[in-house]
Amino acid sequence: MRRVLVAVVFTVAGLVALLSFRTHVNSSERSGASTLRLPPLSPGERALTGHTASTVYGPVQVRVVERARKIVAVDILQHPAETAMDIQIGQYAFPRLVGETLTAQSARIDTVSGATYTSGGYIKSLQSALDNGA
Amino acid sequence: MPSSAAAVGAAPLVVGPRVTLTLTAVGAAAVLALWWHSTRAIVGPGGALTTVGEGLGLLSGYAVVIAVLLMARLPPVERGVGADRLARWHSTLGRWLVWGITGHVLCIIWGYALAAHTGLVSETATLLTTYPDVLMATVAWFLLLGVGLTSLRAARRRLRYETWYYLHLYTYLAIALAFSHQFANGAAFVDDAIARFAWEALYIVTAALIVWYRLIVPARDFGRHRFVVAGLRQEANRTVSVYIKGRHLGELGAEPGQFFRWRFLTRGLWWQSHPYSLSALPSDNLLRITVRDVGDPSNMLRSLRPGTRVLAEGPFGAFFPAHPDRASLLVAGGVGITPLRAMMTALTGPVILVYRATSWQDVALRAELDTIAAERGAVVHYVIGSRAELGGDPLTAEALRRVAPGLDAMEAYVCGPPGMTAAVVAALRAAGVPGRRVHVESFEF
Repeated sequence: MRRVLVAVVFTVAGLVALLSFRTHVNSSERSGASTLRLPPLSPGERALTGHTASTVYGPVQVRVVERARKIVAVDILQHPAETAMDIQIGQYAFPRLVGETLTAQSARIDTVSGATYTSGGYIKSLQSALDNGA
Repeated sequence: MPSSAAAVGAAPLVVGPRVTLTLTAVGAAAVLALWWHSTRAIVGPGGALTTVGEGLGLLSGYAVVIAVLLMARLPPVERGVGADRLARWHSTLGRWLVWGITGHVLCIIWGYALAAHTGLVSETATLLTTYPDVLMATVAWFLLLGVGLTSLRAARRRLRYETWYYLHLYTYLAIALAFSHQFANGAAFVDDAIARFAWEALYIVTAALIVWYRLIVPARDFGRHRFVVAGLRQEANRTVSVYIKGRHLGELGAEPGQFFRWRFLTRGLWWQSHPYSLSALPSDNLLRITVRDVGDPSNMLRSLRPGTRVLAEGPFGAFFPAHPDRASLLVAGGVGITPLRAMMTALTGPVILVYRATSWQDVALRAELDTIAAERGAVVHYVIGSRAELGGDPLTAEALRRVAPGLDAMEAYVCGPPGMTAAVVAALRAAGVPGRRVHVESFEF
């Protein structure tokens, strides 16, 4: 009988501890970056916003920042964020895609392995932004 | 009493093994269809692992519901499939479940790690701390592993039945803890409201059935029927009959051969419930069970006092006369005689009873068996002694054919410990009795 009581007390205590643990999901990430605050443009810079490219995982939209016809930054306006996995893949893929873009100075870049669809959406939106500026 | 007559007159719904398995398979096919439908694209080895992991997760989430439903005491299934077979299915499914969920966990960790280009350890940490409800689901996985471990044969032998049973209740906690992570992370549910609704409905209906049939119905029956110990009688040296009286017992529709789960409300016994077959035809105000002293619980039954209140769940079991008018062979092993003794008075056709026991001291109810046999012209064969003393298995196909001429046209009812029932069923089939005429119930403990 005493053992049963001990087991019940431990179970309840464990449950309370478990349920009070908050997994910290970044809420701005979860909403697909629609509330993203973009850095203001410096003088001499211009922003080119691309179309929204839809992928099987969700929409991708980028904004290109140019200074003197040179790409200096790419901001991600929308990215797939239905699941935490989508966000984790984006956190890996977008910095690499942006890095490649700055090096290539065009949308002719390689896709990131493991993020083929997201890369495809990124390239499509990027190309449309560059076309807008041409 | 009109209400009682109506309850008895209505034919109870029966769902047999084939229908139960078919329905389960249809559900599994629907789950696989959902998985197929929700798999958007498989990218690289990480994507493949993740997809497999999601499939295993979905199937496990479904199988756990089936495992619970098998134990939900649903009357049509209990009556059609039988509690002993349901328990075996439940334990097989439980074993698969532990592997399925473990596979799900490993595939997801590995697949996500490949996709996110991180290591297994760092991905595990990410999953636990940033993915919604994954920590709870991980605790649920550990609980299920623990329950699985206590159910291993080696562990079962060391644990008391009640300890094992109460540890098993942690499964409900595990299911509750793992519930939400399916919707928060599962690709099948994030953008499919219909799938989410159907999945939630599956869990909610199952929970309602459990509460209804395992809690409310027994409580209601306790209030209506007022089961009370009426008296005890010593039968054989280690066997005792307990008489239980109650009101309106005819409404329960118990058949000879069926059993109830009994909980005697005394200081020492209230926390354990045991299945015991009725050992005599049930009447409207009296039931009888006959229990062999095999360990602590039945030993304590001897100390029961008349007037002790009893919680009885039932009747259960698919073991009752299928065709009472046909010639029947009854084969009892040890205390397996109890349901057959009850059947004996309900069968109207010719009856041959073979009663197997290791010693004469273990033969229970002998006087009344002989009396019934004499009154209704039945034949009783006592097969007494250990295998060594009898020179091998005494219940071979040949031996059964010898004691029961015309065996292949008879209905056969077998009850006893698992090893004995399996051997007798094999012998009956070898003797040419078709499977549908062989009715079995094995005592699991």
